[in-house]
Amino acid sequence: MNIIIVEDHDELAREIVTYLSSVGHFCKIKQSCRETLEEIDRNPYDLMLLDLGLPDGDGLDLLKVVRKEYNKMGVIVITARGELDDRISGFQLGADDYLTKPFALTELGARIFAVVRRMHGFTLNELSIHGFSIQLQDYKVKHGENAIALTKKEFDVFQYLVLNKNRVVTRLQLTEHLWGDILELNADSNFIDVHVRNLRKKLEHYEKLDWFETVRNVGYRINE
Amino acid sequence: MKFKHQVAVFSILTRIVLIVVLWFVLPVLVEKVVFRHITTSLLEKKEKFIRNLDNEEITNFLSDNSMDDTYASFSKLHSEFLQLSRLPDNQLVKQHTVFVTEPRIIEKEENEYRILQYFFKYGGKSYLLEIGNNLAQVKDLYFVIRFFTVAVLIGLVVLTFLLEAFYIDYLLRPFYKIIDLKIRHIDNPETYNKTVIQTHSDDFKELDLALNQMMERMQDVIRKEKQFIANVSHELLTPIAILKNRFENLLQNDSINDEGQEKIVSSLRTLDNLKKIINNLLLISKIEHHKFLSDETIVLRELLDELLEELDDRIKDREITVVSELQHDYRFMGNRTLMHILLFNLLGNAIKYNRKAGRIVLADGFKNGMYWLSVTDTGQGIPADQMETLFDRFTRINLQVEGQGLGLAIANSISRFHNCSIEVHSVVDEGSTFTIRFQSPEKAN
Repeated sequence: MNIIIVEDHDELAREIVTYLSSVGHFCKIKQSCRETLEEIDRNPYDLMLLDLGLPDGDGLDLLKVVRKEYNKMGVIVITARGELDDRISGFQLGADDYLTKPFALTELGARIFAVVRRMHGFTLNELSIHGFSIQLQDYKVKHGENAIALTKKEFDVFQYLVLNKNRVVTRLQLTEHLWGDILELNADSNFIDVHVRNLRKKLEHYEKLDWFETVRNVGYRINE
Repeated sequence: MKFKHQVAVFSILTRIVLIVVLWFVLPVLVEKVVFRHITTSLLEKKEKFIRNLDNEEITNFLSDNSMDDTYASFSKLHSEFLQLSRLPDNQLVKQHTVFVTEPRIIEKEENEYRILQYFFKYGGKSYLLEIGNNLAQVKDLYFVIRFFTVAVLIGLVVLTFLLEAFYIDYLLRPFYKIIDLKIRHIDNPETYNKTVIQTHSDDFKELDLALNQMMERMQDVIRKEKQFIANVSHELLTPIAILKNRFENLLQNDSINDEGQEKIVSSLRTLDNLKKIINNLLLISKIEHHKFLSDETIVLRELLDELLEELDDRIKDREITVVSELQHDYRFMGNRTLMHILLFNLLGNAIKYNRKAGRIVLADGFKNGMYWLSVTDTGQGIPADQMETLFDRFTRINLQVEGQGLGLAIANSISRFHNCSIEVHSVVDEGSTFTIRFQSPEKAN
């Protein structure tokens, strides 16, 4: 997928590119509104990651132009909290989603997946991994014809790990994905382990889980 | 004691002193005035009598009552008398006048008289002329004057006192208005009302002006501080984002061994803490900056159910029993996200600081028509010396329990944003109760 990253902090943009390239996307970094408009005029992109604080203008104006003239392009707004007035949600701005800095790269990956799925009219409804299929529209997991009863949190953990397959996902990333980041109390929690343990127990019933790794002291990884 | 009461007490005391002094001084003054008046009139009468006096007359006077060489005449009601008597010849008399006050019996009636005694010689003979003025009437008059004067004075005192009280009250009204509107009810300098308070006293105008100026300076300082927090937070969040994503990418690198990975994870955790502190400070700053809307109907019971579900694994992990004694279905207008955070922090603390297999009791009710909601835990409690700083930023009750000490500061800001207050009641080793008191009257059943 072609992704244009509009971000004036070069170092941050490059880290994002490192991640997105590693999961198979093609990326280009632009640092200003003008450059971005020139670039999208020249080349087609599926998705734009847009930082609102740009040196030569308001990211919001750029967003309006994109919405009007390139309405097939998905836009995920990236903001630093405080920049965006909380009275206006990112969605009201016309973005498909928004993330506040700092965010986990795995979270970005999951959001991109969701936006792209929506852009394609929800034609993709299933993720498959080692004989399991994750039904995205009704939050169910099946193995062959057998439905596996997972709790919502177990489902979320499974989906998140599958979306970020072949990467180590840290406990912190999983925690933040499940409970959001307002929590003061879960920075070091092991509650995620409980959910993963339960999930594994349920999946083990059907398959050997040697592809579902626990990376000691770090987190988990699902290999394809 | 209030200023107007001090003034009132002072003016009452001075007036009492005035009345007492007059009560004692008045008779002396009146006596003096009346005696002078009597003296003058007695002297006049004497002059008149002497001027018209000749030998024949004396003889006539005396011959009328020739038996004892005394002539006496008195008015019908014994208010005055005049008496001329002949003195024995051998008594040598020098011509002189004296005044005496003594009782006399006239027609068997004894009265106090002021008497002019005039000793003189006439035709080689000595005489004594006495003209007396009855003092009984004067004494009556004293009393009347004294009574009347004091009565009038008391009347005047009461009247002027009331007038004074009203006037002082009127004068001080702007003063209390300033205190009420500009000091007491201001808990946020940003909502300070700069309207000039109407007053005729320059002193209060000056006070009002000085207060306005002070508040403006404070507003400025606060505005700058908030701007500063916002800027700093923003500037800090970008480098954190860079580090976080760099570490995340680094973690995928196969060449890094277990030890390296562990260090990266712990760096990520540190960054996460840093991010949360900054975000929480920003949140407080934004709440206090009134950057949130308050236009959602919040069904408290729904919100609590949602939170309990969210916290379910933590509650189970610590084997805590949650008891709901909620009796009302309270709804109010507010900001749902913020209320979520507030209740999350209270419930989170009730779990975090509870003992294993403890209890959390949710209760609610109405006091004076105002709704309250309480969260009670069976935890370690809060020592009395920490109560005061409980809601300050970076206060932590138990350093063993992980946290940043911003949870209650945020809870407090959010409750103030919603016009609520949070009360804490705690017994060490037994537990704590946090009560949110809603200030607005009931909006729904």
